[in-house]
Amino acid sequence: MAMVQERMHFSKEPYIEDVGPRKIKSIQFSMFSGDEIRKAAEVQVWRGSYYDERRKPIDDGLLDSRMGPASKSGTCATCHGSFATCPGHFGYLNLSCARVLLEEEKRKEFLRKMRNSKLEAQLKNNLMKQIVKKCVAMVTSRKTVECSRCGYKNGIVKKAGSMLGIIHDRSHVRDGMLEECNSAISHTKESKASFNVVHVLNPIKVLALFKKMLDEDCELLYLSDRPEKLIVVDIAVPPIAIRPSVFMDAGATSNEDDITMRLFCINKYNACVRRDLQGTGPLSNCLGDWEFLQVHVAQYINSDVRGIPASMELSKPMRGFVQRLKGKQGRFRGNLSGKRVEYTGRTVISPDPNLKITEVAIPILMAQVLTYPERVSCHNIEKLRQRVRNGPHKYPGANLIRYPDGALMHLRFSARKRAADELKYGYIVERHLEDGDIVLFNRQPSLHRMSIMSHRARVMPWRTLRFNESVCNPYNADFDGDEMNMHVPQTEEARTEALMLMGVQNNLCTPKNGEILVASTQDFLTSSFLITRKDTFYDRAAFSLLCSYMGDAMDPIDLPTPTLIKPIELWTGKQLFSVLVRPHAHMRVYLNLTVLEKTYSKSGETMCPNDGFVYFRNSELISGQLGKATLGNGNKDGLFSVLLRDYNPHAAAACMNRLAKLSARWIGNHGFSIGIDDVQPGEMLNRQKKARIEEGYVACDDLIQSFNKGNLKLQPGCDAAQTLEAEITGVLNKIRETAAKVCMEELHWRNSPLIMSQCGSKGSPINISQMIACVGQQSVGGRRAPNGFIDRSLPHFPRKSKTPGAKGFVANSFYTGLTAAEFFFHTMGGREGLVDTAVKTADTGYMSRRLIKALEDLSIHYDGTVRNASGGVIQFLYGDDAMDPAQMEGKSGFPLNLDRLYLKVKATCPRRDNASLAPSEILSFLDDRLSRHDMNPEGGCSDAFRNSLKDFVHKRIDMLRSTRRTLGLDEEHVQKDNSVVLENVAAHISGITSRQLQVLLETCISRYHQKRIEAGTAIGAIGAQSIGEPGTQMTLKTFHFAGVASMNVTLGVPRIKEIINGAKNISTPIITATLVSSDDVKSARFVKGCIEKTVLGEIAKSVKIILTVRQASIIVTLDMERIAAAQLMISAVTVKESILQQSKIKLKSQHIEIVSDNKLRILPPEADRSKLHFQLHSLKAVLPKVIVKGIYTVERAVINKVKEKYNLLVEGSNLLAVMGTPGVDGRKTTSNHIIEVQATLGIEAARRCIIDEIQYTMSSHGMSIDIRHMMLLADLMTYKGEVLGITRFGIQKMKESVLMLASFEKTADHLFNASVNGRDDKIEGVSECIIMGIPMQIGTGILKVRQRVQQVSKFTNGLDPIIT
Amino acid sequence: MADDDYNDVDMGYEDEPQEPEIEEGAEEDVENINNDDIPDPLVAESEGKEEEEQVQRPRKTSKYMTKYERARILGTRALQISMNAPVMVELEGETDPLEIAMKELRERKIPFTIRRYLPDGSYEDWGVDELIVEDSWKRQVGGD
Repeated sequence: MAMVQERMHFSKEPYIEDVGPRKIKSIQFSMFSGDEIRKAAEVQVWRGSYYDERRKPIDDGLLDSRMGPASKSGTCATCHGSFATCPGHFGYLNLSCARVLLEEEKRKEFLRKMRNSKLEAQLKNNLMKQIVKKCVAMVTSRKTVECSRCGYKNGIVKKAGSMLGIIHDRSHVRDGMLEECNSAISHTKESKASFNVVHVLNPIKVLALFKKMLDEDCELLYLSDRPEKLIVVDIAVPPIAIRPSVFMDAGATSNEDDITMRLFCINKYNACVRRDLQGTGPLSNCLGDWEFLQVHVAQYINSDVRGIPASMELSKPMRGFVQRLKGKQGRFRGNLSGKRVEYTGRTVISPDPNLKITEVAIPILMAQVLTYPERVSCHNIEKLRQRVRNGPHKYPGANLIRYPDGALMHLRFSARKRAADELKYGYIVERHLEDGDIVLFNRQPSLHRMSIMSHRARVMPWRTLRFNESVCNPYNADFDGDEMNMHVPQTEEARTEALMLMGVQNNLCTPKNGEILVASTQDFLTSSFLITRKDTFYDRAAFSLLCSYMGDAMDPIDLPTPTLIKPIELWTGKQLFSVLVRPHAHMRVYLNLTVLEKTYSKSGETMCPNDGFVYFRNSELISGQLGKATLGNGNKDGLFSVLLRDYNPHAAAACMNRLAKLSARWIGNHGFSIGIDDVQPGEMLNRQKKARIEEGYVACDDLIQSFNKGNLKLQPGCDAAQTLEAEITGVLNKIRETAAKVCMEELHWRNSPLIMSQCGSKGSPINISQMIACVGQQSVGGRRAPNGFIDRSLPHFPRKSKTPGAKGFVANSFYTGLTAAEFFFHTMGGREGLVDTAVKTADTGYMSRRLIKALEDLSIHYDGTVRNASGGVIQFLYGDDAMDPAQMEGKSGFPLNLDRLYLKVKATCPRRDNASLAPSEILSFLDDRLSRHDMNPEGGCSDAFRNSLKDFVHKRIDMLRSTRRTLGLDEEHVQKDNSVVLENVAAHISGITSRQLQVLLETCISRYHQKRIEAGTAIGAIGAQSIGEPGTQMTLKTFHFAGVASMNVTLGVPRIKEIINGAKNISTPIITATLVSSDDVKSARFVKGCIEKTVLGEIAKSVKIILTVRQASIIVTLDMERIAAAQLMISAVTVKESILQQSKIKLKSQHIEIVSDNKLRILPPEADRSKLHFQLHSLKAVLPKVIVKGIYTVERAVINKVKEKYNLLVEGSNLLAVMGTPGVDGRKTTSNHIIEVQATLGIEAARRCIIDEIQYTMSSHGMSIDIRHMMLLADLMTYKGEVLGITRFGIQKMKESVLMLASFEKTADHLFNASVNGRDDKIEGVSECIIMGIPMQIGTGILKVRQRVQQVSKFTNGLDPIIT
Repeated sequence: MADDDYNDVDMGYEDEPQEPEIEEGAEEDVENINNDDIPDPLVAESEGKEEEEQVQRPRKTSKYMTKYERARILGTRALQISMNAPVMVELEGETDPLEIAMKELRERKIPFTIRRYLPDGSYEDWGVDELIVEDSWKRQVGGD
């Protein structure tokens, strides 16, 4: 055995470790020549058989043991390794006849390029790709191309339709020249015979051609190597390791891999061809066998290569090499970009409010299997001894010991006591998971980075993974049977990075827009809402009990002063929340915030009758019943957000923990449930509902009647049927709304569904009213129920019935029960929702994937620029202000919420006896502060922030001035002695002391600087997730009404897809044209007339054929009244011009006579009398369609009224023409068609357009996304100077890396091209690094850490030997 | 026995001070940061790195330590400590290498230099003790 190991050698040089760390820097792609194949091979394979009768692999056969052992029992004849250790060795197979390696498509293209490149042989430059493109363009334009050197006329090389081969088609070459050609290629194919001869180029010819090709030409063609390498002469037979052979039926037969089978076929036909060539068979056989051989070799590479004769196609396609690589399960996406891992667990999840939000409960069973390799050091040796003693079956134990020499010891079998005693520094103990270990917790689909977060483990009994409900949101988890995964990081570095970067407490906010994501949900909101009711009072015992619910009896709690003292001490529920935020007096958390809850009555602030105005002042809840707006996710001014921003993540997390514990225990005692009596409508509601429904039905009937009579008043841009639908829908929706309103008013305040909807924990008013009052209109595809039967929706209704009931209006509630028809309509609506979700997930998934692939390598560098992996600058300053979107506090991506900060400063820095500043003093203080270095652009402060801070303070000054004016004080000067009462009043109302001002400014500025985005952030991936994740939520309602009624704009996922794809044709192009005089309807109408296309038929009174004795003609009479009414400025002269411009109607100027101002005579140009009649009629048919005015690409234009201003919405394209129309303000005219904007206004405008359109689409679905993400996307799409879509074509132009492109789409094509071109792929991008297993230059990989040697040298004697 | 052990570990991150010590309006922080004893960058450069062949020039990158730098440093240091490297601070019963590393960082005793690479291939060296570490990292230990 020792001898065997000694002789072990590999086809590659073995990896020698002690040269120091090595890193793959780049990969060179090239073509594998026959010589190289032979050199690398261990054996020539020429026998097409597998095993002999004794089940030994046959020598020189396909399973020759020199290529590696075929089964577990065998050994490798080359390296003497076993089945597990032998890496495998290549063999080779010599083909007796050559053929082209690449598929026909490639070959055709290649030949084409080669042929014509001679034309431009002089042009040598580095942009070979472009040359090639030009050449191809020249041939494809089908011009006969003459070779500049030999004068040989080249034709087009085509793929042969039916067979596998290429054709040199010279049928387009006209002259039958025959000259001596000195250039390489032309020799072989002088098709002297005839003009229309079609040559089949066989591989031998091609090989000969290739061999004659000049090196110069190769270079020109971007061939890195000799083209003859493209012809397969030798086939590398891959090692057996990658094509395993399995014995079936107890060893009787063997099941071979597809590759082996294919090689078998190749071998067979190769032998045939060889035999044939030696002259043993007839010549026809030879050609046939040759063909078969070609087909097999092609299929060996790519099994769905095109052009296979039908006779050869197999029922079950075999997998070629290309199939192994490509696709989701292929090598690239299935094994290189994503790998299977160890140390993972998966099970059902369940909630546990007693856990902290950073914790996850792990079942003991799991903790005993998942281990962490802890290295024995002086700090933990005693602990690990105990673990080893416990062994694998007793919980805090260990499974394995790893010794420094690599040996393993399983603790299951061995003497654990002894092992424990012999534990030494440097041993590694695979110990069980224990409390406080770091695990990654994940739920699919992992749409954003908060789908994988690190938690602290808490080992607990039972069998589910448990976590605090507050963390449901980021995972989008519920407990209806969801399962989740966990991973245990295995190194100290990994767990540190997981904790610091992926920890729950560091991901409370979403980088999508800075809103808080980890926050209270459902029951927590309900109980908070109930606790903070105005009528909740607790006596000392109850209040103390509730206070003790909050913690683990570990924290001190100070009871506040009771609200009522006599007759007994009573505390309010609101005080409980004050305790919750600030349990004891030593805790210096001073929370200040105001939030408007859903129940806020829109006036009265703290005196709101619904108690909807939440006001915390210095951690004391002054007013307001807490609900979702304060405690829930998706806000920026809620309690947890403010704690997070003003204090730190820990404060917010601790508060969430306390709230979770309190509310779970409180609601368990209080009880909260829903029963049938909660959804019983009252008498009053029933009456009201009946009346409303009747009213609505009558209104609908009236509408239908007037429609039938034809006197329905049309809505702008609609026909009668559309108007009717719109009106009826409006009426019916109103019924539902009023019923809902009555319902909500009628409900008792203790009604559970009402409470839930008020506090925002579950359900909306619509849900309640559907249960109690009325389900309402069911819609399918945004319309009322369609007609599934002839002219009716269901056979229960009369034909053409448009009544509410017949079109899916459900008047019943879920409580009263639906009728059969109503139920059916309801299922129609329900099914649409289901289908929509199913379809959308696939769509958005693919969109996210493309976004990620395009943006994955963008990161912030140390100089503040955003660059891709190859160093190309995408943005010079991220988002124009280098702010981190995750930390934005203000609305619409502004860094700070100044109003709230001001409030906080006023509350936390009380005025006391300090005099407030005079306006002029404030100004000078402000200017002084703003002129310092850290408020300059060089100091890293954007002008926008500086100005807004300035504006804010100026506004305060104005307020102070106006206060003083009203109080009758001197506006500018403050009397310092505080003696004047009015001075005091003014100071209290809007005064600001110098301390307050200083604190405010310092807080703002320092916090602003802390919010700068950090170098290393993978901002591309974050941006892609931030745009991709909301896409998945945009279910239902793909089309929306927006702006003017009847103007449909594509929204939702389809629209996002259009924008991101950079689509050339979008489904609803709309140009928004601002008018020069925007407050005048008349001028708007005039411009509308100019833009909208008007055909002759619309403005002609008549188009008549006049047959007189002498001539036949068509008389067109214009309706001048109508033209004048529409302000169209059309006369006979302009009509003549427009007719002449129509190229389809071949009329000349002399054929049209202007008879009068409103009359034209058109004479048919045909002289032939027999055809005259027909021509007249065809003219008459065509003439009404002649466009006499307007832009022909415009479908229609609608006048839109926005805030007393009119603008035009133009449906259709041609932005340039619309901008040029008189009366349109071209500077303020925009389109939603990105490609058109780019063509018309340029790349910067296109960038702006992308940003605006994504923002508009997202906001119309109620989603806010930080504009910086959209800017980044838009910049990426435009930074090459043209709009590149996030599609395979666009990404190809954005990225250089072959590996990245191969792992995206079209795997094989990219690899083939790369090897032909001899590409050198540097490993720098994210995909490449993952594929090669190298740390990437993003995040923690952007820097290098160096040890300070001098300092450490003092400690050398203390170092443990294992470090060396 | 084992339970005792793991309670110890647990306690390690429980006995941190419970709540932030931010003064009213956090203005103290600001001043601290602004007047922090950042050594003159030029002086600092010339002190520790005589053998650096890099041209001395004023450093341009941020004086704040990014969270990635912090994670990387702590991770590297924790690995060293887990392999029995000498600890640069007084221990108060901590056993978790990561916690020890954090304590070292808090006391600015980690003997590392960060090499920040700029996109043009040049780099800046910053000592860990020169960089300003965001205050809240104390709480990173997790838990309550």
